[in-house]
Amino acid sequence: MMLCRVADSLFWMSRYMERAENTARMVEANLQLMLDSQTLGLGPVDEFWSPILGSMGDDIIFNKQYDQMNNQNVMDFLVFNRKNSSSVLSCVIAARENARMVRDQISDEMWEITNRLYHMLFKSSSYAVGHSELYDQLRQVREFSNLLVGATEGTYNHGTGYLFIKAGRFLERVEKTGRMLDSKKHLFLFDEADSTLIINLEAVLRACSASTAYQQTYDADLTLKNVLQLMILSREFPRSMLFSMNELQLAIHGISQCPITHFSNEAERMCGLMISKLNYASVEEIIKSDAHTFLMDIHHMTQKLTLKLSREYMFFDIVDPAAEAVSQ
Amino acid sequence: MTIPLDYTENKKPMLFQKQISESDSVIDVEKYRLDDFYDEMISSDQEVRPHYKNLSYELSKLSKADFMRKCKTVDQSMLMQGITFTVYNNDEGTERIFPFDLIPRIIPYSEWQAVEKGLEQRIRALNAFVHDVYHDQKILNEGIVPKELVFGAKHYRPEFCGCHVPKDIYIHICGTDMVRGDDGQYYVLEDNGRSPSGVSYMLENRSLMKHVFPSLFLKSGVLSVRDYTKNLLRTLQHIAPENVSEPNIAVLTPGVYNSAYFEHSFLARDMGVSIVEGRDLVVQDKKVFMRTISGLKPIDVLYRRVDDDFLDPDVFREDSLLGVRGLVEAYRAGNLGLANSIGTGVADDKLIYTYVPQMIKYYLDEDILLPNVETYLAMDDKQLQHILDNAEKLVIKPVNESGGYGICVGPHASKKEIAKTKESVKANPRNWIAQKPISLSRHPTWCEGKLEGRHVDLRPYVLYGDEVRITPGGLTRVALKKGSLVVNSSQGGGSKDTWVVKNES
Repeated sequence: MMLCRVADSLFWMSRYMERAENTARMVEANLQLMLDSQTLGLGPVDEFWSPILGSMGDDIIFNKQYDQMNNQNVMDFLVFNRKNSSSVLSCVIAARENARMVRDQISDEMWEITNRLYHMLFKSSSYAVGHSELYDQLRQVREFSNLLVGATEGTYNHGTGYLFIKAGRFLERVEKTGRMLDSKKHLFLFDEADSTLIINLEAVLRACSASTAYQQTYDADLTLKNVLQLMILSREFPRSMLFSMNELQLAIHGISQCPITHFSNEAERMCGLMISKLNYASVEEIIKSDAHTFLMDIHHMTQKLTLKLSREYMFFDIVDPAAEAVSQ
Repeated sequence: MTIPLDYTENKKPMLFQKQISESDSVIDVEKYRLDDFYDEMISSDQEVRPHYKNLSYELSKLSKADFMRKCKTVDQSMLMQGITFTVYNNDEGTERIFPFDLIPRIIPYSEWQAVEKGLEQRIRALNAFVHDVYHDQKILNEGIVPKELVFGAKHYRPEFCGCHVPKDIYIHICGTDMVRGDDGQYYVLEDNGRSPSGVSYMLENRSLMKHVFPSLFLKSGVLSVRDYTKNLLRTLQHIAPENVSEPNIAVLTPGVYNSAYFEHSFLARDMGVSIVEGRDLVVQDKKVFMRTISGLKPIDVLYRRVDDDFLDPDVFREDSLLGVRGLVEAYRAGNLGLANSIGTGVADDKLIYTYVPQMIKYYLDEDILLPNVETYLAMDDKQLQHILDNAEKLVIKPVNESGGYGICVGPHASKKEIAKTKESVKANPRNWIAQKPISLSRHPTWCEGKLEGRHVDLRPYVLYGDEVRITPGGLTRVALKKGSLVVNSSQGGGSKDTWVVKNES
């Protein structure tokens, strides 16, 4: 007998932690890229960050708070700014607040990991982009997120609560991987061998912890086609959109115990629709017909799915500021 | 890959402890200052009391540096585990740990047995009193407790008169505040019969102590406290509606922002029951349900940590968002067990407290075992005059405050504070009582690098279900500020692990 509020908290705890991890990696990868910006000729700093903030729906909030889009401000906004509800710090606070609400449900390990990360991050103030501590902090966020996944696997009943946690995690991955790709959409039109395209693809892979997976699947040569194939359509890479959707489907059908050949609610129907869209897509078609539109379609469907899921099980209105920002 | 065997060779365990000089060890009995107070550990002839000998021996082998390392470990572990309460003094409440002093308070078993008897006597009498107040009011009609005291009490709920409660039990969970005076005698300061808190600290303190001082537990014969949550569960099961064989039980909390939320969720988890907020519950046809992912599920018993006032906006405060509409209806209809029951505050009213000895005589025909502190009621003209004349010698307390607020400790207060309090007493005598100050016993406590005496109290936890169950010991609270008598967590208090030991020397 799981309370709706508990389901809600488990789902969002896991989603916020995943979001913190993804944002941390994204900032890290792109900052590293910026360190080389002069030799690489990446162009003005604001032209680099603008599409990234835009894809996250954060550009309006950013411009309200800062007068200049430089590395320091963008990093501060994405990592430490508490007025930005999707900053790493805000996400960790939200994840921990949700964990606290279900402290009696989750394992000690899960709680302590979340709580430790919170105390660690909460103490630190914003760093300069050149400061090595900053990268330590970002690494810790990634590590703790992985620890939480591990602790969930190893210490928590694989029952309904576990399925809500999984649903939250994979829904967030579909979202974030989509946005990460979409933030580089303006480069998709570049020539295959363009050096700016290549190093940006590299950043995308790093931002999704996908470099090793890429090398294992393809070879050292980065091509747009292969990157999109891996990030959108791979059935093996655990952060690809299709992989995440498949896991999400297993989770939500596990909750309702309805076989995946059928559907028992709107969330499941939406999930099936998205999977078939991804399952039978080809990367050539995606590139030819406009990757941006494809990604946006998926994005809108994820939002609908979240809403349906919430109506079905949690009876609470969704308060996900990041989602609201994009749909505006 | 295997690790070569000699890898660990450099890290041989220490077999012999190094000698520690007296100045370097945690405890130095000769130099410990008693300042004419009753000390729980050291007797007036500067000797360690017999039941503290074991502890004293272990502490003498421990260096200050090692001890401080243990303190740090414990603080860190409390923060990481989230054993915190929230203090709201700015926009975002800050989380603090409830300071935990590592020197345990020890009570010999024989002494504890006497305390236990006294506590059982009190809870039986208090329950009989609450039942009487809400039914026949015999004790009032016979003039043993003045009617106007009960009818004027803040927590008296006349709307509950004649209402039947499961098994006729009103106070299921009671936290009785006790102190020891310089005569060595325990006194009861107050009976908390609404929703006493702090029990999670009692349990967590013990578990932390076992982690940092495992060796102490090996030979001391400390009675375990871990049955508390199991007994609490039994107590709650006992008050389930008659026709329910496997009751669904939940802890009702005001929510995650409540300062005691940690405790609520701790107890729920340990009992293996749900923790619910008002918004998780709905009442239909005088039955309480919780909203689960597979629809509404009935609730049979609530351990509520929400005050009467906020329980049900239909009956009590309309503006309450914490409560559940219709909850009281369900309770009246006998479809819900509620711990503690509604209106129990009439028994822990500070004025009515003064009549506990009479209650014990009246309902149980026994003499009181655990005495009250001598108390003057300002509402009585003669006693009022006495209070006003002797304000600088008395502890003057507002009747309806908790958490140690508004107390004026005459011997320590400034002239201005005393004058102000006297004015308040004159303006509204019903609201005030005064007590002779008891010079609270002290206990060696770690204060900035050495052990010093600090005042302590004791809150044992009493459960009243199918039988009365009392956890050995309870929560010892300690006033960490030098000379302070206020032990409340909100005002600079800390806590200690409390041991009831069978091996007394």
